[in-house]
Amino acid sequence: MTGRVAKALSEAKGLLRRPQRALPLVQKLVFDRLRITFERRHLYSYATTRRSSQDALNSAMRWILDAERADGGIAAYYSLLTGYSASYPEVTGYIVPTLYDYARACRPAQEVESAVAAADRATRWLLSLQLPGGAFPGGLQGSPAQPSVFNTGQILQGLVCAHRETKRPETLQAALAAADWLIEMQSPDGSWSGPGAYQGVAHTYYSMVAWALAEFSARTDLSADQRYARAAERHLDWVLLHFRPSGWIDGIDLQGHPYYLHFIAYVLQGVLECAVLRRRNDAIQAVESSAWALLRRFETHKYLPGAYGRDFKDARRFTCLTGNAQMSCVWLRLFQITDDLRYLNSALKMNEMLKQLIPARGSRGIAGGVSGSYPVWGCYQPFRYVSWGCKFLVDALLLEQRFTQSFEAAPCEALRCAS
Amino acid sequence: MRGIAMRIVVLGSSRYSETGCAIAARVAELGYAPVGALVLRTLDSGTLLRKVGQWGVSGAARYARTKLAPRHGADVSNPCLRPALTHGGVVFRSLRQVAARYDFPIAACRDPNAPSSIARLRQWSPDLMIFTGGNILRKPLLEVPRLGVLNVHLGLLPEIRGMSSPEWSLLNNVPPGITVHYLDAGIDTGPILQRWELPDVNRSESLTDLRNRLIAFGVSKLGDVITALDRGTMSAMPQGASPSAPGSSKDNQFFVMHEWLQRRAADRLTRGRPTAVTATVNG
Repeated sequence: MTGRVAKALSEAKGLLRRPQRALPLVQKLVFDRLRITFERRHLYSYATTRRSSQDALNSAMRWILDAERADGGIAAYYSLLTGYSASYPEVTGYIVPTLYDYARACRPAQEVESAVAAADRATRWLLSLQLPGGAFPGGLQGSPAQPSVFNTGQILQGLVCAHRETKRPETLQAALAAADWLIEMQSPDGSWSGPGAYQGVAHTYYSMVAWALAEFSARTDLSADQRYARAAERHLDWVLLHFRPSGWIDGIDLQGHPYYLHFIAYVLQGVLECAVLRRRNDAIQAVESSAWALLRRFETHKYLPGAYGRDFKDARRFTCLTGNAQMSCVWLRLFQITDDLRYLNSALKMNEMLKQLIPARGSRGIAGGVSGSYPVWGCYQPFRYVSWGCKFLVDALLLEQRFTQSFEAAPCEALRCAS
Repeated sequence: MRGIAMRIVVLGSSRYSETGCAIAARVAELGYAPVGALVLRTLDSGTLLRKVGQWGVSGAARYARTKLAPRHGADVSNPCLRPALTHGGVVFRSLRQVAARYDFPIAACRDPNAPSSIARLRQWSPDLMIFTGGNILRKPLLEVPRLGVLNVHLGLLPEIRGMSSPEWSLLNNVPPGITVHYLDAGIDTGPILQRWELPDVNRSESLTDLRNRLIAFGVSKLGDVITALDRGTMSAMPQGASPSAPGSSKDNQFFVMHEWLQRRAADRLTRGRPTAVTATVNG
């Protein structure tokens, strides 16, 4: 409670230091209030927008590039009260693959060059942060350098991708040290708990770490060394124990927070990608069960609540846009895996909804940004545009672009039945 | 030989629903004049406010216009229903006209599941009710008629349940068709009486045309089902298990199709044809 008050005070102080921020803040508050009172259509699964996916994609990428700090890291957020945060190692790490994916998929030469250059600067900055044991620190740049399992995993994603793109040996060395540290910290049951884990306890959303290890094992020349793959699978097995028949996943366990869609989607993304790399159909089926429960909710209620109680009950009435973008990614990947067009359908609808909630205009930090919550005062990252929200939106729109193009290119006969 | 004519009640989304008018007229022509019709009120403040919340002011205004100003003149919005709507040179524009011609009462309600609506339906002691659109029906209402509540679903059950059925049929290589089934508490999960593939699917020029043809096809086949039920020559079969993969938590429910996929379905209709297969439950 004290922490929350201190946080609110520090945010308010930010506004006092730069009173000119009051105008966009009030504008956003009034706009969101008016929209959710009089015009809810944009929130619904059947929403459509004239804004093209490419335009939204470029705009979200521009937001990410604008969020780059002088040290090469990417800010965690732009707050309507306090402006940009310091660089955030965790998010900078897993934005690196997004920057390279964007560069590969998009045409405007200037944007592509900027994305590649930003990825390169981000990687160099990350290398400078690695702790002697191989871990990476948690928190924002400037906070005490405590080794963090989750952040190390997320940064490992970035390092594996950067090495694939640049072949720089120092990147591989850093990735190797990070992966070794993760194995060292893993409990015998496959989870990660203790001092390196957030709040000291094991979390199922650390499936993202397992994905990073599986990716490291699959994409580097060290694939003969099965330790990393085995560690990933051990964690996968541990996470799978927490899936319930309703599709609900236990073990997210963030004290003081509800079960945000963002973390549920983290579990699903991590398990799904790890399962694909490790060819684990049981894990893919578990993800399908949860993803289908959320898809059904999205389609029947017309929107996905931002936070839930156990078994998806007691949903809170706000939208977590980051979680929405992540679910779009999960559905798109499931479409790719299962050929079930209903996943593509829901992802297209979700992307429509997201596209119209991204400000097309506004100052730096606002235009193209993905707010933590919609309306902006919702309980997930209130009054902030978050960089990981933009990252997942770019990922979702890139996947949409890829799959819709290949769908259009396929002959009629190639369309398969859903069931 | 028919005994005493079945007591049929028509449930409609609006008194101006063309499908509702066509079905009521069709069953009346077959000699089963409805004993009553229950329709949703044309417009009430609660519905309008809900529409403002869902669709915004402009969307709600559009909705109100369609409810308050039904089409006039010779034109009907679904040209395939024109034969079913035309009787003695008159084109039925509202259920009132059908009711006046075949002498049955109409009641309007805000919610068909409300106790007052159910009491009204019980007064008519129906053997059969025909759902032609409106709110989801709850168990107390479904239990009113002796035989059940019939629905014409615009897709082949159990393969394609839910919304946008013609479009999903096209994209999933399921022949477009209709299923006459009883409603139960689920979405299109009730026992199936009969299903038919639409003949000459490739004559459809667009998705709207396909949908219009399916509706008209359903209206004509519904008459056959009612006759067979009255003669006792047809019985319902429970739907089989979902055709989804074994162990999968998914079912075969489909949801409203996004515009982009609708365009692909339209391409499919005009460029490629799903293979026709024989698919009937009752032979």
